[in-house]
Formats: sequence, C-alpha cells, structure tokens
Amino acid sequence: MGTLFGSLSTALSALQADQTAVQITSNNIANSNTPGYDREAPILVEADPTNINGIMLGNGVNVQGVQSIRDNVLNLRLNSETQQQSSLSTYVSGMQQVEAIFNEASGVGLSSAINGFFSSIQALSANPSDSTLRQNVLNAGGTLAEGFNSASNQLESVQSGIDEEVTSTVQQINGLASQIAGLNQQIVSLQGTPQGDGQLVGQRDEALSQLSSLVGTSTVSAQDGSVTVTTAGGSPLVVGDQAFQLSTGKDAATGMTQVYSQGSNITQKISGGNLGGDLQVRDQGIPGLQQNLDNLAASLISNVNAANAQGYDLNGAQGGNFFTPFTPSTPGSNQGAAASMSMYITDPAKVAASSDGSVGSSGNLQNFTNLQTTNIIDGQTAQSFYANFVGGIGVDISAASSSLDAVGLVVQQLQNQQSSVSGVSLDEEAANLMKYQQAYEAAAQVVSAINDLTDFVINTVGAQASGT
Amino acid sequence: MGLRVNPDLYQTVLQGIDQLRQNENTALEQMSSGKQFNNLSDDPAAVTQLILNEGQSSNVNQYLQNVSTVQNSMQMADSTLSSVVTALSQAISLGVEGSNGTLNDSNRQSIATQVSGIKDQVLALANTTYEGNYLFAGTAVTTQPFTQSSSSSSGVTYNGNGSTNSVQIGDGEYVPVNLSGSQVFTPSGSDVFAALQGLVTALQTGGDVSGATTQLQQVFNRFNTQRTFYGTTLSRLQSTQDFLNQEQLGLSSAQENIDGADLTSVISSYVQTETALDASYQAAGQISHMTLLDYLK
Repeated sequence: MGTLFGSLSTALSALQADQTAVQITSNNIANSNTPGYDREAPILVEADPTNINGIMLGNGVNVQGVQSIRDNVLNLRLNSETQQQSSLSTYVSGMQQVEAIFNEASGVGLSSAINGFFSSIQALSANPSDSTLRQNVLNAGGTLAEGFNSASNQLESVQSGIDEEVTSTVQQINGLASQIAGLNQQIVSLQGTPQGDGQLVGQRDEALSQLSSLVGTSTVSAQDGSVTVTTAGGSPLVVGDQAFQLSTGKDAATGMTQVYSQGSNITQKISGGNLGGDLQVRDQGIPGLQQNLDNLAASLISNVNAANAQGYDLNGAQGGNFFTPFTPSTPGSNQGAAASMSMYITDPAKVAASSDGSVGSSGNLQNFTNLQTTNIIDGQTAQSFYANFVGGIGVDISAASSSLDAVGLVVQQLQNQQSSVSGVSLDEEAANLMKYQQAYEAAAQVVSAINDLTDFVINTVGAQASGT
Repeated sequence: MGLRVNPDLYQTVLQGIDQLRQNENTALEQMSSGKQFNNLSDDPAAVTQLILNEGQSSNVNQYLQNVSTVQNSMQMADSTLSSVVTALSQAISLGVEGSNGTLNDSNRQSIATQVSGIKDQVLALANTTYEGNYLFAGTAVTTQPFTQSSSSSSGVTYNGNGSTNSVQIGDGEYVPVNLSGSQVFTPSGSDVFAALQGLVTALQTGGDVSGATTQLQQVFNRFNTQRTFYGTTLSRLQSTQDFLNQEQLGLSSAQENIDGADLTSVISSYVQTETALDASYQAAGQISHMTLLDYLK
C-alpha cells in the first residue's frame, strides 16, 4: 500500500531531476557558441519500484548521468577531411606566392625579358655597327639575367618563408599532443564514475580537430577511453597519458628545417595538414620550379655564348662569351644557374654581330635569332619551354584549388551534420526549459497537495481523536 | 521528431554569402582590368597561349621595325643609283656627240672634261653614306669604298668588301639588303669607272670614241639590271610590311579573344551576384528574429 510520505519522496525525486535537467539546459544555452561543445542531455530513468504486497509501486525518477550527444564516426571523418583541406589550402596559398612571381596574366614574369632580348638582337641586325643598338643588346641581356636572378631569389625567399612556418607549426602540434595526453588521463580516471567524462571528450575532440588541421594523423580509440594518435606516417604523438614531442633541426646541406620523432628524421613521411602542405610546397613544388628555371637559364647562357663565339666583334676579333659561363657545382646539375646569371661582356663592341670581321656585317646575329626557333631545351624553344613552365604552375594551382573546393564542400557538409547532431539549438533548449519547468511545477503541486492532505489528516483526524 | 537540423543557420548562410562575395570579387576584377583572368591559375592554358602570342607579337613588331629601317637605307641607295643612271645617260649622250666626225679636237677636249666631271660625280655618289655608314662598301661600312688612285687603270680603286647583309623580316625569313660596291660599280668587264675613263681617254686622244661609247652603253645596261635589285627588294619589303601589319592585327585580336573579358556577360553576372547577395543579407537579417525564447515571456 502506498503512503503519503512515499508520494512525497517520489515528488521530491522529480523536483531534483527537473532541477538537474534545467541546469543541463542552462549549461547548453551558456555554451551555445563554444567551439567543440557537444550538447548534453540528462539520462533520466525510472527509480526501482517497491514491491508492496505484490503491487509494484514506482519510486519516482533518477538522474543516471549526463550524456554528450556526439557522433564519433562523423568526427573521425571530419578530421580526416580537415587534414586534406588544410594541407591543400596551405599548398595553394604557398603556390599562389610563387604564381605572383610568374604572373604573366598581369604582365609579370620573364616572357617580356626573353622577347626583349631577341628584339634587341633583331634590331641590331638591321644596323650592326650602331653603338646605341649594341648598347641596347647589352641592356636587354642584363635585363634578362636580372629577370632570372630575381625570379630565382623570389622563389628562394618564398621557400624560406615557408620554412619558418615549419618550426612554429611543430610547436603547436606538440602543445596539442600534450593537451590530448592530459585529457586522456582525466578521461580514463573518470571512466565508469557517475559524473561520466562530461565535456572532456568534447574538449579532446576539439583538440584532435585542431591537430588535424596542423598535420595528418591517425587516431585509434582504446578500451579505457583514451585515444592513441600517430602521424599519418606512423610516428607516435600521443599514447595514453603520454605525449611524444616532435623536434626540429636545420639540414646542414639545404638549410631547411627537418622534423624529427624519437631522433629519426620523419620530414618526408609527413603529409596532410598545414605542415604537410607547407612541406609539399617547400620540398617539391619550389625545388621543381627552381630546377626548370635553372635549366632554362643554363641553356640560354650556353647557347647565346656559343652564338657569340661564332662571330666577330666590332673590332674584328673573334667573339667570346656573352653571359658569364655557368659552371655547375655538382656535375650534371644546373643548380644556381638562374641566380648567378650575369653579363660577361660590358663593352658594346664585344657583341659578335659580324660573320666575317667587317663592322657592317650582321651575319652572325642569325645565330642568335635562330635560337628563338631552335629547340634548345627539352625539345622545346626557350619561349615555349617558359610558357609551359608558367602554364604548369597555373595548372598545378588550379587543380589543387579545385580539390580544395571539393574537400571544402565535404567539410562544410560534415560540419553541418556534426552541428545538427551536436550543436545547441536554442529553440530546442527553450522547449526543454518549458517542459522541465512545467514538470517541476507539477511536482511542486504534488508536494503542495500532499502537504494539504497531511494537514487535513493532522487537523481533521487528529482533532477528532482528541475530541475537540 | 524528424531529422535534426543544424541549429546554426548562420553557418549555412555565411557559406553562401562567402561564395557570392568571391563571385562578386571576380566580376569586379574582370570589369576593372578588362581581362578575363588575372592569375595564371584562372586559365593556365590561355596564359600559355598568351605568352606564345606575345612572343610572336614581339617578333612581328621587331620585323616591322626592321622593314622600316631597311626601307630607309634601301630607298637612299636606290635614289643614289638613280642619280648614277642619269649621270651615265648624260655621259652616253656626250659620247654619241663626241663620235660625230665633224667635231674638232677642242670640241672633243671640252666633251672629255664634261665626261670626266660626270665620272667624279659618279664617284661621289658611289661613296654615299646613310646614317654614317657607306652604302656601297659591302659590310665594311666604315671604310670609304671608292678612292681616286693613279695606280688603277680606271683611276678608282674599291676598298670595301664583297659581303652583303641579310635582315630578318619574318620567322626564318631573311632578306638581303645591299649589294657590295664591287658588284654594282666595278664588276670585272663592266666597271663603270673604267668605261667612263675609257671614253675620256678616247675623247682626249682622238681614239675610238664610238667604241668607247658602245662599251659605256653595255656597262650602263648591266648597271641598270643590277639596280633593279633595290627596286625589287623594296617592293618585296612593302608587301612584307602589309603582311606583317595584318599579322599584328590578327595577333592583337587573338590576344583580345584570349584574355579580354566579355563585358556584357561580366556585368550581367555581377548584377546577378549583387541580387543574390542582397537576398542572402535579407535572409540573414531575418534569422535573428526567430527563436522560441522570444515567445517565452
């Protein structure tokens, strides 16, 4: 048989549960704009009923715990897409700096210097003894050399700018790894306790998501609630409550920052995230372009020199070098050719226009102008090699941008999905608030009714018993 | 309850606005620069085309300049040779006059002096310079090609060389732009100065004036044939110039086709973008007015 006091304690449990629920709602509203916050919901269960003479009577409600609403699979997918997105975005922005050096679409680049050089030679061919035209050839040659110098130097400065980002990115990665290790420890210690892991998992998810934007990682959840994080290349970052710090150091040969894990160089194994994108520009994109630029410079230097050597200068002497000849520091490599390109001759008379030693002959200039139509590099003319070189940069960036747009859409969609699962909806919270408020009022009404009943029992039944 | 909707409506709206702002920016850039693209990556294939086109266009410009430079010096040479032709015709007339049997010695001496004067005139013409360079010295343009010389039978020696120059006026197309002085004035057997000197000597010594005149006539004919080189080349240069001008027009219209923005479509896409942006802003403005909390008072 039920009792008034039994009902009172049932109503009390309802008041407590609704208070807890209101507090959770209030916390949700407070955190509606907190990044990484997953909305929470109370886990309400019916209290164990009491068996009274075979009749099961309910005992109210218990708050079993607080549940964070999140979709772990969605989070993992989002992290992996984020790695790609930030890698591509860093790559594109790095390559856009390179694009600006060769932006022929706005008239920046070597094209006009190459054209100008050959124009100056052609102009001289119409009047080979003219000293102004000869000086123009020297000037145009100097402009061409400076064009190569400046393009090469700018490539290098973009490269070293990106190199500087590597160290600071690695520091951020280390910071996040420590944070994740610390959260792992707290989460493991809270496993199975009534308060649950609370928002710690949410915080850890947020840290993992930030880490994903920095570097490609792979995350495995352990039974005890902790996560193990390794780089995409397999180097450990976090295992349980322990963080493994990455370190950096300059490569003696290239001067470029290398990344080390446990003493071994993992630079080439890193992919994904800002770091992966930076390293891709620094170690693949720019060196490839630099190499092409050097090859083009070396080819122009040797071919123009050969043309000049075949003729005679204004004084009737056999021609010599036009540009300073390039001597490779490593045999077979043209490294440094563009950066060091310079004029060898400074005297306009030394331009070997003449094919027979007479001052008015322009016969040898054909050897120069023929270079325009001769395939002097990789089976292409200098101009088409350069055009394809520049076009290649554009294609590369445009392809990476398209991938970036595509990944961006996926990320947006996943974020949308994540937000629709975990985001705080003020409408929903308002509705919940109303619901809990009404339930609280109802429970309070029950307490009040029991109070009335108790009062009635004491005042009516008690008064009759005492005879008043 | 159905599928839960992302409560952060701004996220979606902002993504849309962001995209529209990008479109707006592109359209503005195209309108202000008049170009279809402003970065390599906007259209790499077109930029490659553009570079090759510019290379070609720079060549054509230079070819045109070459043509005009060469035209000037060749016109000068041609008109010089035309003066020589006039002088030689006069000498031939004088020779015909001098072969008339009724003339006395004094008449012939006077004619000889006139022919000798014509020879000096031709010598001066043969040493004509253009912009400081001798026109008929071969490629030894700084050496005076013809000088008086007592050791030579014609009284004149050639100091230039026999070389000629070619100037590029098209891709792989070179035009020879001069004849050497020895080709024009002193080819063996048709030496202009020797023929004139022969006539002078015949007139002075009472020799075969008629034969010397015939000889001069033959030299004159050959000279005239040589001279056509300049006329022919000049007319070739004229047609080349017309062709190059056409090509230049073609190249610049090709460039316009490659990178010129189609203003009609750019402006209409700009207007569309503006309209869409306006709508998005209005929608975004509405969002803040709608939460249940506002009704729970």
